Amino acid sequence: MGRSIKWLLAGGLVLAFVFWPLTQPVYLSLADLPDHRADPVNGEQIFIAGGCTSCHGDRLEGGQELKSDFGTFFVPNISPDPDTGIGDWSDLDLVNAMMLGSSPGGLHYYPSFPYTSYTRMKVQDIIDLKAWLDTLEPVDNPVKPHDLGFPWSVRRAVGLWKMLYLEQGPVVPGTGSDPVYERGRYLVEGAGHCGECHTPRGILGGLQDARWLAGGPNPDGEGSVPNITSHKNGLGSWSEADIAYYLESGFTPDFDTVGGSMVKVQEHIAQLPESDRKAIAAYLKSIPALP
Amino acid sequence: MARKSLITGSLALLLFVPQAWASESVQEQRHDLMETAKDAAKAIGGMLKGEQPFDAAVAMESFSTWENVAAKAGDLFPEGSETGYDTEAKETIWTDREGFDVELETFSMAVTNAAMAAPQNVEELKAAAGPVFDACKSCHEGYRVEDQN
Repeated sequence: MGRSIKWLLAGGLVLAFVFWPLTQPVYLSLADLPDHRADPVNGEQIFIAGGCTSCHGDRLEGGQELKSDFGTFFVPNISPDPDTGIGDWSDLDLVNAMMLGSSPGGLHYYPSFPYTSYTRMKVQDIIDLKAWLDTLEPVDNPVKPHDLGFPWSVRRAVGLWKMLYLEQGPVVPGTGSDPVYERGRYLVEGAGHCGECHTPRGILGGLQDARWLAGGPNPDGEGSVPNITSHKNGLGSWSEADIAYYLESGFTPDFDTVGGSMVKVQEHIAQLPESDRKAIAAYLKSIPALP
Repeated sequence: MARKSLITGSLALLLFVPQAWASESVQEQRHDLMETAKDAAKAIGGMLKGEQPFDAAVAMESFSTWENVAAKAGDLFPEGSETGYDTEAKETIWTDREGFDVELETFSMAVTNAAMAAPQNVEELKAAAGPVFDACKSCHEGYRVEDQN
């Protein structure tokens, strides 16, 4: 046997017995779901906290372009249209998509869909969210596939990426005893997915947890995203009341207005109860200050 | 002695008067005008946040500052002032003047309504100032360059 053929064979074996099983998408089964009666009213609150429309569009029709260093992602249609949206999904499908980044068809989602945050959500909340999504209007809007360069186009490799970056535990260990802090953490680290923009990413696109919420380059456009830890370069001079008021009104303590992609985020959080904005503020003032 | 102070006085006049006479650039004028709007908003925000006790007179003073802004702002964005003085004015002001004028008009009407409401407590103040704040935000979103720091 020629040398090159040996190498090819070895490569094939590694692919078949190491890469392939290692990168198998992971799924929960029906038995893993809690016994829970879906509550669309809570589902709407989760929908608002997650700001789904910021990326997927006001009617969840999808099709928007997300330009990144890896190529262009096209945001999927998540309206309840059975053909071009997610109308034929089960509760379990949505849980697997949001918490494990695994599609009903057996594929990995790219982490442009922030399941790295949603993985910290409660299964009950996702079931409630599904019940709310089902009440919305279906929109017939086929969306084209992502346009990514090699090697990012190898979707299966996202399995390896998940081994590095998909973690369910809290980023900042909780106090456990303070329900306000815990609520804030749940909103910021989970559904609100604040870290996806406010935390810098490494070269593989994974969040650098050691720099949690310390700001960094804008992943989708020009300029930078601010540090929102309580360091003096961040929210150091902001009181909890300042943070809550900013999220409610869109005005900074200096009475400048919210701008850029934060406008939609702020307008969503403004629709949540005051207690949620205070909880977010309490969490942000408690986490480690980073320069 | 009298003569000496007269000379000093004249010199001082020579030094300072020309600066007062020199007209500010339109970019600086609108910047300063916006700063007054911001300070007025701060005074109201302080009361809404509970940092300052409610004071009806302070609220009315802010409204009248805003009325002044509404009256003057439209003329401070002439053709040819698109750049300079690190202006944060966005080119859309000149490419979509009509849209910009609508925003200014919305602001102006919100301010008039707020002043007519003459709020007597924090709840009323919040209701009166809300549409003004919304107008600030909305106009900045479309017609101001995003601070990239």
